[in-house]
Parts: sequence; C-alpha cells; structure tokens
Amino acid sequence: MKKIFRTGNPYIWLTAGTLTVCLLMICGLIVLIMVNGFGIFWPRRIVQFTLQDGTVALGEIAKRESIPHQKNAYRTKLKVGNRDVYGMDFRWIDNADIVSQDYPVHVLAFERREWGNMYGFLKGLRQDDGVKPLSLKGMVPLLKESQNLYKKIRYIEKKEIGDISYRMEKSRLELKRLMLLRPSEKVQKKVSVVRTSMDNLEKTYREKEDALAGLYSKAREKEVVVLLADGKEKILPVFQIIRIYAPNEMGILAKMGFYTTKFWEFIWEEPREANTEGGVFPAIFGTVMMVLIMSIAVVPLGVLTAVYLKEYASDNFIARLVRISVSNLAGVPSIVFGVFGLGFFIYFIGGGVDRLFFSEALPTPTFGTGGILWASLTLALMTVPVVVVATEEGLSAVPMSIREGSYALGATKIETLWKVVIPQATPGILTGTILAMARAAGEVAPLMITGVVKLAPSLPIDSHFPYIHLERKFMHLGFHIYDVGFQSPNVEAAIPMVYTTTLVLLFTVLVLNLTAIVVRNKLKRWYSTGAM
Amino acid sequence: MAAHWVITLGGAATVFVVLALFFFIFLEVYPLLQGAKVTKENTYTLQDKAISIGVDDHQEVAFAVYNNGNIEFISLSNGEVFKKYQIAGLNGSSVTHQDATNFPHKTNAQGNYITSVSQDRDRLALGTNDGRILTVSINFSESFDNEKRIILPEISEAETVIVNTEGIGLNSITSRGDESATVTAVHTEDGKLVLISSEVERTLFGEGERKEIKKDITDLVVQYSLNQITPPSQEGGGKLETGTMLVSHNPIHVTEQENKIEITSLALDLFMENLYVGTSSGELFHINVRDRSNPYLVEKVRVSDKAITALGFLLGDVSLVTGDAGGGVNVWMQVRDEMSSSGWALKKVHTLTSHNAKVIAVASSMRDKGFVTIATDGTIHLNHATSEQTLLNFETKSILTTLVFSPKANGILVTDSNNRLFQWIISNPHPETTLKTLFGPVWYEGYEKPEFIWQSTGGTDDFEPKLSLVPLIFGTIKGTVYALIIAVPIGILAALYTSQFLHNSLKIIKPVIEIMAALPSVILGFLAGLWLAPLLERIFPAIIIMPFFITLSIVIALVIWKILPVFGKGWYRYGTEALVLIPFLIGAVYVSLQLGGVFESVFLGGDYREWFSNILGLRYDQRNAVIVGIAMGFAVIPLIFTISEDAMSNVPNSLRSASLALGATPWQTAVRIVLPTASPGIFSAVMIGFGRAVGETMIVLMATGNTPIMDWNLFNGFRALSANIAVEIPEAPFGGTLYRVLFLAALLLFITTFVVNTLAEMVRQRMRLRYSKL
Repeated sequence: MKKIFRTGNPYIWLTAGTLTVCLLMICGLIVLIMVNGFGIFWPRRIVQFTLQDGTVALGEIAKRESIPHQKNAYRTKLKVGNRDVYGMDFRWIDNADIVSQDYPVHVLAFERREWGNMYGFLKGLRQDDGVKPLSLKGMVPLLKESQNLYKKIRYIEKKEIGDISYRMEKSRLELKRLMLLRPSEKVQKKVSVVRTSMDNLEKTYREKEDALAGLYSKAREKEVVVLLADGKEKILPVFQIIRIYAPNEMGILAKMGFYTTKFWEFIWEEPREANTEGGVFPAIFGTVMMVLIMSIAVVPLGVLTAVYLKEYASDNFIARLVRISVSNLAGVPSIVFGVFGLGFFIYFIGGGVDRLFFSEALPTPTFGTGGILWASLTLALMTVPVVVVATEEGLSAVPMSIREGSYALGATKIETLWKVVIPQATPGILTGTILAMARAAGEVAPLMITGVVKLAPSLPIDSHFPYIHLERKFMHLGFHIYDVGFQSPNVEAAIPMVYTTTLVLLFTVLVLNLTAIVVRNKLKRWYSTGAM
Repeated sequence: MAAHWVITLGGAATVFVVLALFFFIFLEVYPLLQGAKVTKENTYTLQDKAISIGVDDHQEVAFAVYNNGNIEFISLSNGEVFKKYQIAGLNGSSVTHQDATNFPHKTNAQGNYITSVSQDRDRLALGTNDGRILTVSINFSESFDNEKRIILPEISEAETVIVNTEGIGLNSITSRGDESATVTAVHTEDGKLVLISSEVERTLFGEGERKEIKKDITDLVVQYSLNQITPPSQEGGGKLETGTMLVSHNPIHVTEQENKIEITSLALDLFMENLYVGTSSGELFHINVRDRSNPYLVEKVRVSDKAITALGFLLGDVSLVTGDAGGGVNVWMQVRDEMSSSGWALKKVHTLTSHNAKVIAVASSMRDKGFVTIATDGTIHLNHATSEQTLLNFETKSILTTLVFSPKANGILVTDSNNRLFQWIISNPHPETTLKTLFGPVWYEGYEKPEFIWQSTGGTDDFEPKLSLVPLIFGTIKGTVYALIIAVPIGILAALYTSQFLHNSLKIIKPVIEIMAALPSVILGFLAGLWLAPLLERIFPAIIIMPFFITLSIVIALVIWKILPVFGKGWYRYGTEALVLIPFLIGAVYVSLQLGGVFESVFLGGDYREWFSNILGLRYDQRNAVIVGIAMGFAVIPLIFTISEDAMSNVPNSLRSASLALGATPWQTAVRIVLPTASPGIFSAVMIGFGRAVGETMIVLMATGNTPIMDWNLFNGFRALSANIAVEIPEAPFGGTLYRVLFLAALLLFITTFVVNTLAEMVRQRMRLRYSKL
C-alpha cells in the first residue's frame, strides 16, 4: 500500500478526478439545456386520469417524482391547462389516487392567444339554436379565416395606427418647438400647417378605429363549444385559437412537422402572454443589432490599440501603461461598465444631446435614457481587450520578412501597415471581433441598466424615417432569460420557454466561439501560405 | 508622422477609458462626503423682538410673531412687510372657551402678551401671560399669475383655551393636534404642569361630543425629583397615589423648595402619547398621556448635568433631540430593553457637536433626520442625527431668540435680540452619508444597538435610509470565498493533471474547458436559481455524501486499473485516467443519490432541514451560498484552469527532465518542481478568478435570495455589491444619495479588481522574466 502511494499514482488519479468532474459538469450542463430546451415543442400525449373520487383530469404529464418522506409513494405533476377555468396550469396528483389512466384518441389541445392551452373535446360550432357538430377537419377553414382576420387586425393595429401615432407624436413635438420660438407670421403659418395635419391624422385615426371595431365584432361571431375533462362545456371564440392539434392521434411524422412549425414560430414570432409563450424574435433581433453596433465601435479602438502596442510602441512608459489598462479593462466587472454607461453615456452625454437637439421633447428624455446605442457603446468598452489581444496575436503572426519586403520596395511605415500588415492580420482581427461578439451576446448585467427592457413596443429598425432608431430600448436574449425566469408572474409555466431561450443563447455563443477558433486556425494557415 | 500620432493616440485611448472609468465614477461619488454649503445669506430688520417665526415652502415669505400679538409677513425677496395681522383672541374675546361661562375669567382687557409658543406644522399654540392658550393657523397658498408664483398667507384663529382662571402666565407650551384631537401641555409661572386635551369622541353615528380634559400632572414630575427615586415607576398609576401622599398638592410648596426643580422644556410627540419634560436638574421625564385623564410616568432619565433647555422631535417623532444649558446636543430614543418594566427604555443614541453656551431651540427637518440647533452665544449648528455629523456651523455674534428650518430643509431662519432676521439658504444634498454611516455600525431608529444595515428605501416619508455598505461587502466576500473554495482546488488540480499527465492525444479537452469560460453567466444563474436550487433542496443529504463516494470510486477505479492485465491497454497505459474515471464518477453520483435518503434517515434524523435547525441552529434557504458557490465556481474554474495550465505547461522542460532523470516519480516532479516553479502563475490565476467572482453579477442576483444579512451560514442567501447595483440603480433618482452610494459600490468593485488585476499582471510579468532566465 505504502509503495503504491510512493509512486504517486493515487494522487494522479485524484487530479484526474477533478478534470473528470469539470468535464462531467460541462457536458451535464449542455445536455440538461438541450434536453429541456429541445423537448418542449414535442407534442406530448394527453393523458386522462380517473381519480378515486370519480373526477377526471386531462392533461400532459410534466413530471413524476417520489413524495418526500414516504416509501414508494409517487406523485404526478399534470399540466391541466385551462388557466381561465382552473386558475392554475399545473396540478399535483398522488399516484395512489389514480384509478385508471388512458389516452383518449379524440382529445384536442387548443393553443390560445390568451390563458395558455386548453385541453378537451370539440363538441361543435355554437349557433343560435344549439350546437352544430363539427369535425377537426371542419375547423380548418374556420381557423384559416380567423388567422386572416387576426393578420388584418394586427396590420391595422401595429402598422397603420402605429404610423399615425408616430406621426402624431412628431407633429406634437414640432408644435411644441414652434411654440418655444419667437412668435412671428412665419411661425404662425407653420403652426397652422401642423395643426391641420394633426387634424387630418386624427380623422384617419378615427376611421381606422371604426374599421378595427368592425373587425373585432366579426371576430367574435364564431364560437366553438369545447367539452372539458370534468364534463363542463366551455365556449371558445374561434378567433382565440391559434392552432388545434390532436397529439394522441399524431404519427411520428406529424409530430415532427408540428415540432418544426413550433420551433419556427419560436424563432420568428413575437412573444405572447408576458413573454411566457410565442416567440423570441424581438429578443434575437435586439441581441444581434446590439452586437453589430458594438462591433462597429470596438474594432477601430481595439485594432488601433493593438497596432500601437505591436508596431509602434517601444517598451516605454506609455506602452506599459496601455498594457496595464488593457489587462485591467478585461478584469473590471461588467456591472461597473454598466454603472459607467449609465452615468456617462446616458445621463452625461445623452442628457447633453437632449438639451441641445431634443429640447422640445423635454422633460421626456430621448437619448437621456437607456437605449441600444448606449448599451452597445458600454459593451464596446468592455470588449476592447478581447479585440486587442486577438489582433496582437494576428499581428505577431505576420512574418517580419513581409514587412521588410514592403520597406525594401520603398513603402513608408504607414503604407506597409495599411496595405501589407493589417490585411495579413485580418484573421486575428476577425477572431477578436467574433470573440467580442460572443462575450457581448452573453452579457446581461450592464445592459440591465443601460437600455434593455422586458418588452419593447417596437424594434430599433422600422419603416419610419430615419429607419434606424438608436435611442430605442430593446430586448435581449440574456435579459429575456432573467426576466421570464425570475420576474414573470407565472414562473412555473414559463420555465420551458426559458430553457429554449437559453438554448438559443447558448447556441449563439458556442457557435460564435467555435467560429472564432476555426477562423483563427484556418485563415491563419491560409493567409500565411498565400503570402509566401 | 501624423499617422504615428493618430495611432499613438488611439493606443492611448484605452488608458483614457480606464482613467475615465475611474474619474467619472469617482466624480459621482465625491459629493457624498462633502458637507453642506450656504448658497445665499440675507439679513432683514424686524419691528420688534419676535417670539416665533416661520417660512413657506419656497422660502419666499417669512412671518414673525411678536409678543403683543402682531404677526408680520415679510417678503424674503426685498425685506418688505406686506401684510400685518393682529391676533384678535389675545385681548378681545372673539373666541371664548366654553368654560368661561362657568368661571369668570380674571383678565385685563388690554395689555396681554404672549409668553410662549409651540409650533405644530402650520398651527401655532400661543401661551399668554394671563393663562390662556390661543391657537392660530398660518397657511400659505400658492397661485400662479403669468408663470410667476404668488404666495398668499392665510391666517385663521381657533378657539381659546383657558388654562387657569387666576391669570397665571404660561412659561412654556407644547401642543399637537389633528382634525379630531388636540393635546397641549403647559408649564405655568407657578410651576404647575397642566395637560389639556380636547377630543371629539367618535360614535357609531359619526362625530359626537367634544370631550375636554384638563389635568394637573405636576406631581408626576416633582414627586420623583424630590425623592430622587432612581428606578422608574413600577406600576404607573398605582405609584402615583402613594406619591401624592408624600408631596402636598400645594404647588407653592414645590416652588419654595430649597432644592427646587424647575421645568425647563416640554415636547409632545405627534401621536399625542408621549410627553417629555426636561428639568433644570438635567432630568428627562417621559410621561405617557395616552389616557388623557390618567397620565402616568413611564421613565425618568438623567440626560445631562445641566438643565435641559431645548427639546425637539426628529421627523417621524421617534427620536428626541435634547439640548442643555451647557451646550450639549444629544439624540435619544426609545429602545427595547428587557430590564425595564415597560419593555422600553430611553437611550442616548447619537451625540452631536456641542455648543459653547445654552442651547435654546431645536428645529428639525421635514425631509430627513436632520435638525438645527441654536445657542445663546449666536452659534447655529446644522446636524444630522443618523450620520452624527454637524454639517454647517456658523454664528451671528448676537443673542439668538427664535429659529425655523424651512419645510424643504434648504433654509435656516433665525432672529436675534437686536430684532434682526437672518436667512441662510443652504444646499445639503447628502447629509446621511459619512464614512462612518457607510462603513461603520450605526444606531438606527427602532434598533437595539448600532448595527450594519442596508435598507435604502422604505414605505413611509419619515423612513431613515440605512446605507451601510458593510453587509453588501460581506455578501460579496461570502460569495467569493465559497466560489473559490470550490474553484481553486478543482481548477488547479485539473490544470496540473492536464499539463503534466494528460495524454497528448487528449489535449482537445483543454479548449472544451475554455469554452466553459464563454458560457454566459445569465445561463449559469438561471440554472442555479431555477434548476439547481430546488434540486439541491431535495437531494441535499446526497450532496453531503457525494464527495466521499466520488473519492471511493476513484480508489476503486485505481484498484481495478491495477488489477487489469496490461494487455490491451497499449499506449493508453498513462494519461487516460480522466476518461477511465467517467463511468466511475457517474456511478458514484448515482449511488450517492440512491443512498441520500438512507443517510438522511440514519444520521440526520429523517429530515435534514429540521436536523440543521435543531442541532446546528442553521436555517436552510432554498437559494443559498452553496448554490452560488457551485454556480460561480463553475464560472471561475475555467479562468483558473486556463491561466494556471498555461503557467504549468510553460515550466521549462529542462527542469522536469532533470528531476525525472534524478529518479523522482512523475508525481514528485509535478508537486516539487512544476508547482513551485509555476506558483506565481497559479497565484495570478487565483487573483484573476477572485476578480471575476467579486464582480460577478447575474449569478449572485439569480442564485441568492438577495437579502442583505450578515451570516456565514452556508445555507443562507446574501446580497452582493454587484447584484445590489443591478437591483437598485434603475430606481435610484439621478444625483440622489442612493445613486451616489451605488456609484461608490461600483467604485469599490473597480478598485478591488484594479488592484487584483494589476497585481496578477505584475506577477505574471516577473514570472515570464524568470522563465526566460532559466
């Protein structure tokens, strides 16, 4: 025994154990997120429990677990849906209470615009004199019709009325600005022009509202009757239904089709019901746009610093100072950057911009409040070191001989730098940019105080001049995770969504990182051979 | 050449960024530690000697009450008197008390004057020389004329109360009132203390009869003073009667005492329950007047060696300011005390800078726990109770008479005996912060002792902000320590293994762990808070036994590996231990999960949470420090791993070869040669890991309960500096105290990480130098 210990093998195994623990933790984490994130859109069978007291419960099984401190006792967490009827999405059932369990073929899941899912049997279409029986096939044209109606309503609400209120706001500010000017005939004229245009807008707004009211009353016309598990009948307007599916009837292909549709919807649709359902498109859009603006800001600064350090600085005091600054910027906590962004960008610069250019809107701040520009700039400061380090690496990889060749041909130092060295170092710059993007995409803390919101009314890019609205607040995948997971009123129902959002974020960050690694390896090789 | 400068400037930009970070954050913090400033000073001349003054919200109009019953309104922009008013009740009988019909009042129709004043918001209670109390209300109404503000004073008189029919003057008075009740205590010239209350009794059918009670409570004060009974009254009312036997009812008897006790100041709180009486002997009497007809003495405290000459409540009427004849200014309040019969005792909680002469008045702010005191030598102090600081200190070089603190706490007005009215407009943005309130224990209202508390906002206007950063710093340290306890051994040992023993073909493991560093912390926080925390709560006993089973499984793996014939292992003989261990570790985790329940029922009495609270006295929170330790450890491990792995791989091969050639085993080489040589690199790895853990925000925000408590308990949550900033700064008004304190928190984080990173960077530079020499 003593001999074994003297060889040190047990200790080696122990250290190996720590590495294994690390590996297991990473793999476990990724598997956990994948399983939970990919799983949620798979249509699960709807089970029907008959309980000892004679009642019937219908729903999807969410979880089975043993009851604490009881031997061989289990309970089931059933997603019963019908939040408007039962008040809760989930219900715990002791397995001991279950008399029988079956999977009725014709049971349907109704995905609704409000109140989450509903599980039940389709009884028929409600009419004045009773209920007209209706098959699932018969529902298809009805659903299509309501879908079109919904699109029309959304178009009027979002696009047309949105346009009007945007222009109204502009006119109001213009009017306020004119009022601040010294009154003169010219100003009076302008005022009257603005007033008439406001009146016109008001008129079109009224018309649109009337049209909307008409559409809404049309939407309320058709209703179906749904038979719930407990035998109650529930009237459901067709307009409320997004889709109907019968998971117990679906084959594997149908399920895969359903899964694809749902995933597509998740990526491209807007969120519903306080972000707990629907999609995350605005969050993806906001993240991407913020990252792009950030990289526009960070690349010049980072590259300039790296070029200075590598090509210009001799080992003097300033160079050493710059090095210490870079390594410190990398170590300063992100929340400190957020605080700086809030105080410097938002209140100091943004407030100044407001006073100079947007004084008519005051006291409502335009740039003097959190927005995508300030968030991006804050993150740009934070990610400078990433770009600097990678660019330096890229510059080091450029062989001295190339530089010397350039000098020999009579190029000046700046020409050599601009036309020879920097193109050669592109892989490094690109790697740095991608790594900076990955870092920025996953960061949340500084964004929370510089312009991220849980629900942005409009995207930072739209059809209104000047098309890109850098002062707008935006949504972000990481903040979406925090907000839905920790601040939504119905956390239990929202958790599956959070897992999927987490998956999207994790995927983005991992892909960016892997791309950076691949670019670093491949392009470096390619450039170095190409240059020879 | 120009290009050169552009690039140099661009390079220096990062230095500017770091400097800007520091200076901008510092600039926002700096005003916190600045005192108050006088921004404007004015002097006006009054007609006569004022006995009371007041001012409106905007400090545009002041009023002065003279003892002949005149009230003058002075515009503070030009000093003009624009309105005068004569209190009708003083000499006439416009409003008479109902008692007057029963008792003929001996009063001379003319020549009465006011002897004492009590201000209760906009209501003035005036005591006269003939034993009456006049009530006058002065309101200021605002109106706008062409965007110019006009302040109009409105005066109304309420009915007069007759204290005594003999016409004995009132020395001092204190009065409080609301819509349904008023309570007044007066000290008359013949040494009596009289409590007068008037209440509208509410019945089922709305408002009922007005009930008036007049009660002489002189005995409560005098009796105990004469007999020098030190312990406070045991059974309140009962003691009262025995007391009355000792001391005669005759008030003259009291005033003729050789060792005579004189009442020098009075204060009644806004709940109209607690009356405080200061005496010439320096004793403070606390009388409960909740039962108007039967008040009793709660407590008697010696506050000072000298007479208590001024009393005043701070905003919220919990703390009492006492000023004595020697110039001492202290703040007292009721503190829970099990020794006393009522469960409460008056304790001195703050001591402020003393005046050099008798304190004559106290005026408290209506915004915060600040107050102003004046003394006879003309000195004026602006104090803040919580922070125990005297923010302003100036003097008039004349004898001061009256004092008022403007309603918005931005101006002080005093009058002196030369009939001058002084006005100072002050700027006092952050009175509640000093280094002591930020980092030291402070005795807050309602607490039993000085404590470290973070509670920045409260539900009421009179809330005392508690801005101690200590609990937050503690939280940050606690989170960091637990994270490092997990991350440092795992990170360093895994790095040692990877750099020294791992087979070359398996080096791909390294980038995998580096990718772990790229995991957004919000994902770790989410999983820690919503997946790990509930899971850990369920399987906690299994977690306790897990390290044991993991070690056991490693031993088992080692033994099996030894027993297995060399055949088939081929060149995978060494360096693949980490892969071999995977199934064993998974097995160990599985076994400990299975045995967790057994372990719990055998050793932890069936329910680990009960066992913890009963045996160890620990409370188990779902989101606790263990969770944070694991999640933040997860975030820090890759950092420590990468940097220390680099350092160990870079140990010159010649050293290792020499060691192995001398017969040392690989393990001996690793521990005795590689580790010490790479130790600076490992040190800097730990430092950088520390910096990351200190500043980590999302994980601590999501995985702890964010309760700012100071407790090393593993199973409690905490609130870290970083998470606190994220939580509170969106609601902190720009430029306010909270905003700046949060900037201070950010500055602390910045400085900490700056020091740590610079240190780590320097150590690494040195190490590089040393390696290059080897």
